[in-house]
Amino acid sequence: MNPSQFFREGLVEIREHLGRTLLQTLGVILGVASVVATLGMTSSMDARRDQYFRESGGTLLMGVYNQPPGELEMTARQRAKTGLKLSDAAAIRDTIDGFDLVVAEIARNHRVRAGATEERFRITAIEPEFMQMRELTMGSGRYITPHDMETAAAVVVLGSTRARELFGTADPVGKLLNIDGKAYTVVGVTKEMVFYWQRSDNYNAHEWLNRLIVVPITSYMKRHQEAGAERIDELNLRLRSPEAHEEARKTLELLLRSRHGIEDFGVWDRKERIDQGNQEGMIYNLTFLACGIISLLVGGIVVANIMLASFTERMREVGVRKALGATGWQIFAQFLIETMVVTVCGGGVGLALGIVGTWGIMNVMQMEMVVTPLMVAVALLAASLVGFVFGMYPAVKAGRLDPVVALRYE
Amino acid sequence: MQTLMKLEGITKIYGEGNLSVEALRGVNLEVGVGDYLAVMGPSGSGKSTLMHILGLLDSPTSGSYLLDGEEVSTFSRRRLAHLRNKKIGFIFQNFNLLPKASLLRNVELPLLYGGMGRKDRRLLAYEALAKVGLADRAKHRPNELSGGQRQRGAIARAIVGSPSVIMADEPTGNLDQQTGIEILELFDELRAGGQTLIMVTHDPNIAARARETIRLVDGLILPNGQRAAA
Repeated sequence: MNPSQFFREGLVEIREHLGRTLLQTLGVILGVASVVATLGMTSSMDARRDQYFRESGGTLLMGVYNQPPGELEMTARQRAKTGLKLSDAAAIRDTIDGFDLVVAEIARNHRVRAGATEERFRITAIEPEFMQMRELTMGSGRYITPHDMETAAAVVVLGSTRARELFGTADPVGKLLNIDGKAYTVVGVTKEMVFYWQRSDNYNAHEWLNRLIVVPITSYMKRHQEAGAERIDELNLRLRSPEAHEEARKTLELLLRSRHGIEDFGVWDRKERIDQGNQEGMIYNLTFLACGIISLLVGGIVVANIMLASFTERMREVGVRKALGATGWQIFAQFLIETMVVTVCGGGVGLALGIVGTWGIMNVMQMEMVVTPLMVAVALLAASLVGFVFGMYPAVKAGRLDPVVALRYE
Repeated sequence: MQTLMKLEGITKIYGEGNLSVEALRGVNLEVGVGDYLAVMGPSGSGKSTLMHILGLLDSPTSGSYLLDGEEVSTFSRRRLAHLRNKKIGFIFQNFNLLPKASLLRNVELPLLYGGMGRKDRRLLAYEALAKVGLADRAKHRPNELSGGQRQRGAIARAIVGSPSVIMADEPTGNLDQQTGIEILELFDELRAGGQTLIMVTHDPNIAARARETIRLVDGLILPNGQRAAA
């Protein structure tokens, strides 16, 4: 007797007792559905988050910002040493191999005038690699170049939103922009960056990039700061590889602490945040998975219970089969496979339910759904495992049944 | 006459100690190939137990049972199942067809457990059904058939694997007289084809159709003289 035969017997059993089978597998269905939905939601959200990071410079970005230690009494000498400086950027470039891009940044608000329009806007002074770091592309014109840096050129690059606000629909390239009384030439406009976490959401997560007014950091220091000032607001960093993360981060903190004599900075770190997020997600996932697993266990118990309840009804059948020459092993295999067919069918229904559920939730959250092979594998595997474990006892019992006793049973 | 089954000093004791019941108390019996034997006796005489032991559904407590020259009284349950599949065909009082399966699938079952392929199974099952005149009912379920048809289906299932012996337990017990006679006529045909048959019954008129009758009383076969007289 081959497995396909047992499989058919299982299907017959399901067809004969559709209502009972449905009740029997309800636990399995719900358990599998809950597990699948958990996996579905997290995979979908992870996929979205990964896309966000991918579209805005990758997961390897890191940054250092000023964070003066509060309440601490400092001497004038100490105070002079604190705060991020342009030389810090150079020191990092020279000593830490783990970063492939280092971009110093100053960001301050200034009066900005273009033609008749005048408003206070934030001016971002950076180094040219910022474009590469944030994976910006040009809508028109060019970006800041190393040559602009060397010559401290009075050039400015606008984000697409700022360009529209200041110059309307006309192409601003070549036009003049006045920042606190100093004239700059617009040399380029970056292409609009768009990322919506949720469909039809009105919050563009990349909008801040469209609102940048960017000048070379050397030009800014020359025109808007006293001579000799070299304080900067932030350091943007990119790791050479994910493997470099731990070492580079540690060296970075060590270097800055020794240069400043005090911990006066904070670090933001995408990789660290993702790892933390994953960890938090894991706890959340485990909670849901635990619910699913408990439901599967209860489902398994129900399956075993109903198999045992229908057992007396089927004793005669077992007796007849044995009289016709079925071995205990064959009866055992038949019952076990039958139970597994029932639970795997339940698993299939649960999978469908889980996917539909995830789709529904994702739809409400206006996010795209991702169906991974893992979800399908987990669903079917969990269901067959439940069938195997909880089908074992009734199957063993049926296999061991004495044919004389079974045949005599009315 | 070639001997098919030979029982010597077969006993069967159920339970233990004070509560034990001696169902068979030393049965000696020889059944030849092609015999048609009726087993009679009042209820509790041990005829069911004897049937079960002859049919390899149960093992004796002591004694020797040679089937086709093989000592089977000490066989494991697994080997008994295989032997049962090849050598014994059962017919029951209440037919015992599986209600969820078609007649054809019911008849195929012994071949299935014997490990035969699907095509051969189908062929032999149709042949067996044709022999009992039910080839046109192959796709029907047992509950779509009359009692007589069901029992004929059960006979087809019993003969499909060409067993050495057919064991029938009150085969006409659930049938009206006319249908019962039809079944017994079918047995006569099988017998004429050389099939060995053993039938348990309490009805002397039915037992009379067998070639030989043994009487079982209190776990013992009545001596030869009385056996002839039965």
